[in-house]
Amino acid sequence: MNLILIGMNHKTAPLEIRESLSLACGDSINPLIEIMNIPQIKEAIYLSTCNRVEVLAHAVDEESAVEKLKSFIFNHGNLSPDDMARCLYLYYNHDAVRHLFRVASSIDSMVMGEPQILGQVKDAYRTAVEHNASGIMLNKIIHHAFRTAKRVRTETGIASNAISVSFAAVELAKKIFGNLQGKTVLLIGAGEMSELAAKHLLNYGVEKIFITNRTYARAVQMADNFHGTAVDFEKLQEKIHDVDMIISSTGAPGYVIDVSMITASLRRRKNRLLFLIDIAVPRDIDPAVGEIDNVYLYNIDNLQEIVDGNLQIRKKEAEKAEAIIDEEVTNYREWYNTLEVVPTIVSLREKMEGIIRGELAKSGAWMENLTEEERKNIEGLANSIINKILHDPITGLKEESRENGALPYIAAIRRLFGLD
Amino acid sequence: MELLFLKAALVVYLISSLGYMCSLYVRRVLAAKVSTWVLFAAFILHTVFFALRYWKTGQPPVISLHETLSFFAWAMAGIYLAFQLKTKTRVLGAFVSPPTFLLMIVASPGLGGHVSLPGVLQSNLVPVHVILAVTGEALFALASCAGAMYLIQESMIKNKRTSGFIRIFPSLTDLDRINHICLMWGFPLLTLGILVGSIWARTAWGSLWQWDPKQVWTLTAWFAYALLLHQRLAIGWKGRKAALFSLAAFVILLVSLFFINIFFVTAHTFI
Repeated sequence: MNLILIGMNHKTAPLEIRESLSLACGDSINPLIEIMNIPQIKEAIYLSTCNRVEVLAHAVDEESAVEKLKSFIFNHGNLSPDDMARCLYLYYNHDAVRHLFRVASSIDSMVMGEPQILGQVKDAYRTAVEHNASGIMLNKIIHHAFRTAKRVRTETGIASNAISVSFAAVELAKKIFGNLQGKTVLLIGAGEMSELAAKHLLNYGVEKIFITNRTYARAVQMADNFHGTAVDFEKLQEKIHDVDMIISSTGAPGYVIDVSMITASLRRRKNRLLFLIDIAVPRDIDPAVGEIDNVYLYNIDNLQEIVDGNLQIRKKEAEKAEAIIDEEVTNYREWYNTLEVVPTIVSLREKMEGIIRGELAKSGAWMENLTEEERKNIEGLANSIINKILHDPITGLKEESRENGALPYIAAIRRLFGLD
Repeated sequence: MELLFLKAALVVYLISSLGYMCSLYVRRVLAAKVSTWVLFAAFILHTVFFALRYWKTGQPPVISLHETLSFFAWAMAGIYLAFQLKTKTRVLGAFVSPPTFLLMIVASPGLGGHVSLPGVLQSNLVPVHVILAVTGEALFALASCAGAMYLIQESMIKNKRTSGFIRIFPSLTDLDRINHICLMWGFPLLTLGILVGSIWARTAWGSLWQWDPKQVWTLTAWFAYALLLHQRLAIGWKGRKAALFSLAAFVILLVSLFFINIFFVTAHTFI
């Protein structure tokens, strides 16, 4: 099918090389126009993200097209021939299709299952369409890739479940509170991870964030970042009465929250659920707090365990995804193969119709005596005989093409019926 | 004719139960979503059965024990489906649909035959009593389904085991709210049901209250629910304790509903 896929990704090429190539292609030149200037290339799509640079092309002469594409990359990426050999991968035909399907389904991504890549593939396709670079061949493949990606997304759990500690915290909060709208959070101490978790929580509708710190000025400064409210550290106990979630990450050597502080607030909280996240090492919250009714305490290790478990799940789901991709590649191959037999079927029919026309013309003399209706009947008879004769070979040809590739049959039919 | 709808409903209840089980097994909400629609279909078939039966016999088909059980199942499914309009707690169906199906299995052999009512039951108050009480009890049944789910999920979260099938459970807060709403509606309905029953008892048996084992157990359950409602509304009980208590109260109610008629001599046995 004369398909070529050439490119590099995070597995094959170090960041600097990907960087220089995608930078060169991003600024000064329009890579798609340059690629389309290669005479052997009929259609092309150029995909560039932070983790990959790929070109999918439909070419007339594969060998020379590949050489031209390589020199295109060589010119713009400043690569040594050694680097080229090491970093580039090259797929042909069905392997190229499979690679594209894997990329679109986010199986080939650095973070497997991440959702951005499909959008990036769509953008790349849109650009190709705008430049008239995508035709019948690539259109079909790309749409098939979109369908595959959608199937992988809906039929496997590859994209579900958090794979970062801060997202795991958000998922737990949703498990406990359901809708996070109207909920309030108290951050104790500063830290990258607690700020990240707070940001995610805000994105999911948390209403208000309170921030407290031993140094009040630092709390005020952080509060500005989140449009939150700074709270005096002395008033910690009072805030425990009100909030739904507490994220603690101070550098304190001892416990900042102990059992008595929580039990003291239970009555005023009217047993509302309380979710505590302790990101600090050494720990800020007495583990015994987790034993209290309607109070849930997770520390950094607990969250990390969840993330590890989810990564395992994703790996397992990836196997299912590969099976779906296999299936879709086969589907595509079947569709493509039936394409292969179409010209033969058409010329076979044309040949037969030609014979009928010729024979009817020869019999014109004696058929003149017949009525119009009788002539019609004879033509109809001839046509239906031809159709009956052709029915089995054509069906067989289509079936063979779906299953095995019909080249020997195509050759035999062309030879036996003298179609060439 | 109406038995055809009953049998169809039975089969569709089974399909929906299996669907819910399957959704827990494969941990996909999609299967539960489909099962909810299947349950809706079963509910419609069941409703048609009721309507045809009512039309044929001229009385609400809720009088005999089997009819009551079938009505219980119908009410449970209906209330659960009504909840789906507002809060999408699909997977809760995994705890609702199977008991509904089992109730129907128990109920179906005695349905559809000719029911001849003893004179004492030929009062308009009897169906009202049954409908009020059973709807209240169905709400309590749903409360305990939500409670059971709450307890399972709660202990999993407490013990940091969040990767299993609870992944697709509704949140603790949603389950607690369903438990609460079911109590709030179930309690007045059961109360009214008991009152209507007493009024009828006065005309039939001569006094409002007989200290019959069934009445005593039901009253015990009623007190348990009254206490729970008080704790929830006045003391602010929430979550685990409330869920646990609603399960315990339901066990008492179950005794009154099923075991009394089998193991005790009760005046509350009719047909």
